[in-house]
Amino acid sequence: MSVLEMWAQSAPAKALGATLLHSLWEGAAVALALAMALSVVRCSRVRYAAACLAMLVVLAGFGVTFYRLMPRHTSGATIVRILPLVSPSLDGVPVGTRTWEVADLLPWLAPLWMAGVLLFQLRCLASWMAATRLRRIGVCGAPDAWRKRLDALRVRLRMTRPVTLLESCFAEVPAVIGHMRPVILMPVGLLAGLPAGQVEAILLHELAHIRRGDYLINLMQTVVEGLLFYHPAIWWISTVIRAERENCCDDLVVATTVDAHEYATALAALATNRWTMRDTALAATGGDLVKRIRRLLAQPEGPRSAMAPMLSAGILIVTCGVALAAWQSPRQSAPAIAPTIPVAPSPPVKAAAPPVPMASPKTAEQPKTTDWKSQAEALEQLHETLSKAEGKRGYSTLVAQDNRSALPAPYPYQKWLDEVSYIITAEERNAFRSLRTDEDRDLFIRQFWLHRDPTAPRGAAPEEYPTILRGNPENAYKKEFYRRMTYVNDRFGANTVPGWKTDRGRIYIQYGPPDEIDAHPNGGKYDRPPEEGGGQTTTYPFEQWRYSVIKGIGTNIILEFVDPTMSGEYRMTRDPSEKDALLYVPKAGPTFFRLLQGSPPGIVEINAERKMAVTIPIAFDASQYLITTSTVSADGKTNLGNSQTLASSCKTTPAEAGCLKDNLRTMGKTPLPPGSYTFTAVVKDTSSSTQKTYVVNFTIN
Amino acid sequence: MSTEHPPRPTDAELEILTVLWSRGPATVRDVHETIGSRRPTQYTTVLKQMQVMAEKGLVRRDENQRAHIYEAARPREWTQRQLAGDMLTRAFNGSAKSLMIGALSSRKASKQELAELRTLLEEYERKTR
Repeated sequence: MSVLEMWAQSAPAKALGATLLHSLWEGAAVALALAMALSVVRCSRVRYAAACLAMLVVLAGFGVTFYRLMPRHTSGATIVRILPLVSPSLDGVPVGTRTWEVADLLPWLAPLWMAGVLLFQLRCLASWMAATRLRRIGVCGAPDAWRKRLDALRVRLRMTRPVTLLESCFAEVPAVIGHMRPVILMPVGLLAGLPAGQVEAILLHELAHIRRGDYLINLMQTVVEGLLFYHPAIWWISTVIRAERENCCDDLVVATTVDAHEYATALAALATNRWTMRDTALAATGGDLVKRIRRLLAQPEGPRSAMAPMLSAGILIVTCGVALAAWQSPRQSAPAIAPTIPVAPSPPVKAAAPPVPMASPKTAEQPKTTDWKSQAEALEQLHETLSKAEGKRGYSTLVAQDNRSALPAPYPYQKWLDEVSYIITAEERNAFRSLRTDEDRDLFIRQFWLHRDPTAPRGAAPEEYPTILRGNPENAYKKEFYRRMTYVNDRFGANTVPGWKTDRGRIYIQYGPPDEIDAHPNGGKYDRPPEEGGGQTTTYPFEQWRYSVIKGIGTNIILEFVDPTMSGEYRMTRDPSEKDALLYVPKAGPTFFRLLQGSPPGIVEINAERKMAVTIPIAFDASQYLITTSTVSADGKTNLGNSQTLASSCKTTPAEAGCLKDNLRTMGKTPLPPGSYTFTAVVKDTSSSTQKTYVVNFTIN
Repeated sequence: MSTEHPPRPTDAELEILTVLWSRGPATVRDVHETIGSRRPTQYTTVLKQMQVMAEKGLVRRDENQRAHIYEAARPREWTQRQLAGDMLTRAFNGSAKSLMIGALSSRKASKQELAELRTLLEEYERKTR
């Protein structure tokens, strides 16, 4: 991923993109308001002020919108928004069912806009340099007589700033350059060529510009134009400002005793003069000079053009539509990408991450990134299996689902789909089902593995595709997957069930070999640890698998598989007592109560809102236990509070929330910042004053 | 005067030419006064420059009087076209237009507009008379 791409996905870039879209309708609305105001107001100064104000409002709207859309930095937590899996589009094979949306374009608006701004501001800079050069090169001072006339006019306009009058061989028309030390450039020969009265009128006009500080305002206007260059309304407002600026100056000239007719003739002469001077390209017909002169001579205007209001209304409608469409699509697609889940500071190469991790705890240093989806799915799947139903239910529903929508696909593909059912995403499954030809399916399968190949080149060039598509025989992921597959089929198969369909097979394929296996293939005598109730019992055959870490789920996870039917098909349990053959035998059952120690999967859950839910399965029926819980972060800074529950109170109202029935369940109310936490439950026997403490450590990435 | 086209004037030469276009034929003293009104210049510098320009064919020298009278060899429009022939110069000067404000917009009036202006003014004159 290039730097630009990364930047485009950053929060400021997205806020900027959204701001640009918003400013479309904002600007259009302002332009519409201005058009309505202009249709009522006749006075040039008011019209000019209104247009300037409109431009400022659009600019301010842009700033305010950006400020409001810019995400505020509230906590130290790194929230990474994970993008949906995007396939490197290989010859149009649909892997994810992902379609193009306006929202995808949103982040790219910002870089485009910035490039445009750069271009326009460079142009503005060039203009400024050219203007500065014009007042130095090819000029000479005006004759003394005219300088004195100019000073007299300056006094008449009550201006104190000195003004230099120059003749320029480059200027085509009289012009003002500079704000602090203004210069009036007259085309060379104009001073001598026009009647003195007309020259005076033109000089007055230029002086009026200087008095009003128009050069500086025009400079700022050009800068704003460059910032909001993408907006037609800004260009229209700018045109209005320019036209009204001239009208204001015209008014000033006429008010300063110059004959309107003389002045109009001067303007016409100027235009003609320029016309004859050069033979370069012509402008289109229709323009403001005719309007200005009509206005000066107080002639009735031609039929008023309804163009401006119509134009801005059109812009308003179109931009509103675009903005709405763009705004709707991120909203709609929000659920698909919205659950922002705290992810450990991992490299932002989400798109390349395998959709479902086939975690291998032993090779943890292998560069694999966590995906919120895989986290959530794995948790859900584990939870499903762990749910209080018999071990198999979770999986059987999955198989049932598969069968329900079983497709008339040829045998090998259905087999393949079954095989990879633990690592394929729902989207991929649907996409695969929608394929119609074997060719496509083969391509899909190759691409499926390619996606998960940790060594696959990312962003390969199209000409490399054929090589890639032939498949990488060294695809470590694929090799490991089939190794695990073979392993579980060899070891865990039972009478009718192939190894990969058993609970152990499933866990093994998904999470790899455990760090430790404590196998009791014959069951037999078993000393209950104190947290399982103490005492001695006889068990079914069982195995305990310990994983020191399962990414996205937790650390030190112990999974227990029991074979209560002695068929060889071990089922995953959530309750250690399931292996206890004598659990329900009076006098042989647990003497005290049992709590799971450690952090079994699914016991501490962090939901998408970063809220914690702790569930501790307990099995006791005594009523005199007082249970106190607390959750504290590792550094002791965050204390989620304590709660006390007297088990006896639940005897009377067992339905009450938080009551102890099968388990102790506490649900956090506030989102947790990332960090390590310790959940402590103290269970106190109020009759004997004995107490026991249970500790669950967990980490939020 | 050479029959060939004179070379492009330098910036300093352009200034002298501008003075000659503005004032018409003038002596070195006149030109020196005009230029000197904006910045201090030596009379001899101007004199030397104008002699060089005469050699280049940029100006014509009338030696009939005691004080030589200089005149621009080419009209302003010709030199302007010569200078503007350079695309870069044209683009550069053109880009200044957006920042220059003045009595006329940077856009040129068309023939039709000019004709319309003339009729407008004529009508107005007829009415007021």
